[in-house]
Amino acid sequence: MSTVANTVGSERAARRRLRPVRAGHGFVAAYVVLLIAFGVVPTVYAIYFAFTNAGNTFSGLSNFTDAADDFRFLPAVEHVGLYLVFWLASLVVFVVGLALLLHRLAARGVSRALRFLYYVPGALAGAASVMVWLFMLDPTVSPVGFLLRALGFSTFNDVVAPGNLPVLFTLMAFWTGAGGWIVVMYGALNNIPTEVLEAARIDGANAWQTARRIQIPLLRKWIVYMVILAFAGGTQLFVEPQLLSQASVGVAGRDYSLNQLSYDFAFQTNNVNAAAAISVELLLVGLIVATVFVARSGFFDAD
Amino acid sequence: MPTDFRRSRRTGRDPLAAVVLLLFVVFFVLPVLWLLLAATKTDDQLVHTNPLSFGSWHALRGNWDALTGYQGDTIFLWLRNSAVYAFIALAITLVVAVPAGYALALTDFPGRHTLLIATLVVMLMPSATLVVPLFLEMNAVHLIGSMWSVILPYAFYPFGVYLAYIYFSTAIPRSLLEAARLDGCSEFGTFRRIALPLATPVVALVGFFSFVANWTNYFLPYVLLPQSNQFPVQVGLGTLLDDVPQFNPTVGSLAVERPELALATLLAITPVLVVFLFSQRFLVAGMLAGATKD
Amino acid sequence: MRHTSRAAGANRAGLSRGRTRAGLAAAVATLTLGAVTACGGGTGTASGAHGSFSPVAQTGGALTVWVDSTRLAAAKLYQQENPQVKMNIVTYDGDANGSNYLQTKVSLFNRTGNGWPDVVFSSQNNETSWAVQDGFTAPLNKGLIPQSTLDQWATGANAPCTVDGTLYCLRNDLSQTVLWYNAPLMKQWGYQVPTTWEQYEALGKQVAAQHPGYLVGDAGDTFTPEVFMWAGKCGANQITGPKAVTVNTTSANCTRMASLLDTLIADKTVSTSSVFSADFDKNDASRILMLPGPSWYGGALFQGTFKTPAKTVAVAPMPQWSADSTPSVGNVGGGTWLLSAHSANLKAATAFLTWVTTADDYQGKLAPGYPAYAPAAKTWLAAQAGSGYYANDITTPLQNAAGQVWSGWGYGQFSQEAIWASTVTPGVTAGKTIVSLLPAWQTAIGNYARSDGYQVSQ
Repeated sequence: MSTVANTVGSERAARRRLRPVRAGHGFVAAYVVLLIAFGVVPTVYAIYFAFTNAGNTFSGLSNFTDAADDFRFLPAVEHVGLYLVFWLASLVVFVVGLALLLHRLAARGVSRALRFLYYVPGALAGAASVMVWLFMLDPTVSPVGFLLRALGFSTFNDVVAPGNLPVLFTLMAFWTGAGGWIVVMYGALNNIPTEVLEAARIDGANAWQTARRIQIPLLRKWIVYMVILAFAGGTQLFVEPQLLSQASVGVAGRDYSLNQLSYDFAFQTNNVNAAAAISVELLLVGLIVATVFVARSGFFDAD
Repeated sequence: MPTDFRRSRRTGRDPLAAVVLLLFVVFFVLPVLWLLLAATKTDDQLVHTNPLSFGSWHALRGNWDALTGYQGDTIFLWLRNSAVYAFIALAITLVVAVPAGYALALTDFPGRHTLLIATLVVMLMPSATLVVPLFLEMNAVHLIGSMWSVILPYAFYPFGVYLAYIYFSTAIPRSLLEAARLDGCSEFGTFRRIALPLATPVVALVGFFSFVANWTNYFLPYVLLPQSNQFPVQVGLGTLLDDVPQFNPTVGSLAVERPELALATLLAITPVLVVFLFSQRFLVAGMLAGATKD
Repeated sequence: MRHTSRAAGANRAGLSRGRTRAGLAAAVATLTLGAVTACGGGTGTASGAHGSFSPVAQTGGALTVWVDSTRLAAAKLYQQENPQVKMNIVTYDGDANGSNYLQTKVSLFNRTGNGWPDVVFSSQNNETSWAVQDGFTAPLNKGLIPQSTLDQWATGANAPCTVDGTLYCLRNDLSQTVLWYNAPLMKQWGYQVPTTWEQYEALGKQVAAQHPGYLVGDAGDTFTPEVFMWAGKCGANQITGPKAVTVNTTSANCTRMASLLDTLIADKTVSTSSVFSADFDKNDASRILMLPGPSWYGGALFQGTFKTPAKTVAVAPMPQWSADSTPSVGNVGGGTWLLSAHSANLKAATAFLTWVTTADDYQGKLAPGYPAYAPAAKTWLAAQAGSGYYANDITTPLQNAAGQVWSGWGYGQFSQEAIWASTVTPGVTAGKTIVSLLPAWQTAIGNYARSDGYQVSQ
């Protein structure tokens, strides 16, 4: 819209008036080198793989159709879609909610302790937590066995039945991922000037109104960043089904997600091209959603 | 002052909030508590006794001896490798990412938007197919087998650049920078004198997340490092897991019992938690105190 | 004013610096891209036609050996006994648990043209399904190892290593299936050890009636098809060529074994939990009457995991269908050793390979599993029997079973264990019968085989 463009244009002009135009290059030079070496080149190469075949000749969209024809592709799309719903909802609601609650705590020590405790599972990434989940989800040996048995599960295989997987993976991903984001959101909340919050309190706003009208809008950029990454991370679901597949020795979580399928293509069938095709598709989906969020929230503009 | 504000809110103490916070504590901590107690048990006790019961100091000692005996103190070698890779990469990341985030947020230069977009695209690219080009690149510069083959890719941390970008664009008021420039500061001077002192939270944030990402990275060292004595602790844990009889029945007398694996896991996560505790002080420091000229 | 001129000065300097930096960035990009694309390529092939093999220049050097942590002892022992051989021993995960590490690294090495190890141990026995095509393994029966040595492997042990008559790897150990049973308990209850599946089923029903809670078998493991279906000659995995398989899971052989299992599962004398699961360990480990299973059950399961007391566990031959004239047993795993076709040190590598698969010092005395090399197996069995742990003479049934592994079940690139685990096990957990899941099993095998490039026929 023209008004937005005008605002952006004048803002940019204002910035340029104040700062030397080329100084920014000095600050980003080292980063650009790393970006090209470890970001752009591999990404471009992967895209190149997606459009060529094993003999390095251009193959159009055949890798994409090959990947889509695989019997695991459509189920994987369904799985990822379902997981995304659970994952995004729980992450955004609980991370922002918990950060707000923690921020309201009077006792600083308690707040700090809780933030640490919420973060601890984040240190347990990868192979470290295979055993943890194997025991947590087994009604006979789990600390929450009573809960699992109350839900009608009597063995580990019962718990990891296909219908329960979206919830299980959401739980696992939230367990490791939420703590870090809570720390980020909490820090962001601390950057909101207290005068603003004080003014709101004097005006008679309760906690919920303060959160909704003041804190959350001021957290906009952080929340957008979290949603973009959570969406991409959700579509690229890999670690949780891989963990569960290892823990259950293949009973659950094998070829569950599209990213797992991509890895199978790359490292099992030795078909790097089909793997790259799936990767490009996942990248496109992530980019489209990111673009929507970035455009609507002015993510790239300086405030 | 933040404390004043909070104290004034205390009158509205919410029992529901306390319950919610407590429930989540249980959710996050219970499995870790189980892990802690698992390291004190024998394999038999792990299955047959109450999950949250304490085992015995004797069993803990036995697990410790077994773990350090595994391939002769290899666990410490793995931890040392992890520390070397993670800290060196972290240092490089900080030097690279914080100025980059500052420039992206607070200066304008041709290619700024392109850089932001390129960073986002690269962040969103799934990693399955990035391994092959990365391996070829490393081979082309003869770095295969050197620790730099993992440290340099670790040092590239676009997530950190974005964190710095968002922080600088939301937390530093324009007026402060204008004041500095009015005083005749060069761009680097502005950065060094104004932005950097105020950047403690984001330096801690990027540093911490970079450290954790480096420490917990499994796939890159797994594929790129040829020698088993170069493995970081994450890959080492995978090796230990492969020697657990429940996952690999033909392992024979070299079996790694599950409590031993639990102890190894605890050792592997302790540095992350220590770094978190250390950086927490800086992570959440917030408000600027009247730094503008007006 | 000073400010403006300084800014202008900064501008000019920044201009040139910026240009140089942009140029540098572009140069880095082109260089890396160029280097990368120059090395890129498809999968390399060192050997030409099947069996023909032109070794690379034999420059010697350190022998690079990849082993898993269990076989590390073998490599170290060889180094100890041969101090003049320079060895570079690397431990890796042995390709266990579906890690595909070996295939991944070999394909990367094929792209860069260097880095292959000389000798590799793999815990999988189906590496030749991709390694031959990728030109990684050297043929072993075309002069590198004398046929007289190769003839001493157990019958069919090297079948997974043989492609079109050429031997591409050596089998490390066997996991032939036998019937494990609790000897004192059988005697106490006056049961006869079954020799036919019909007797086995009858006994299972008897146990359900007279001693409920006790088990005669387990159908909840990922290797359940290899224990029961393979032994029952079910045609679920007939590999007919390097990339061809015939799959028929609804034949009479498959159906009768499946319905036997269903009957006993319904009776609760066959468990649907894995023997390595926590609930089996907690609830069922002390109530095992019989357990058909591989040869490593004795050490890994009974001695190691369940800590069953000595003189309890005994071994009998796997039951057979009474109408069948040729006995058949199944097989659960067994590792293989591969020799790299790119090795610049073939003599030393072959010497190590031969030693590690045949030497009594390792295979007979230290190896945890039943050696595939028959003379070493004799030594191994003697040591096991001499340990005094077992309640009967385990030598004869194990030795006989070693030669009875049914040859109709092949070693494809796709994992039968993984397919069963993801297709049949969830169904059984949900209460379905194995017979009703047989068509789904067939479809799944066909799907996975096709996605691995196999021609699938019924």
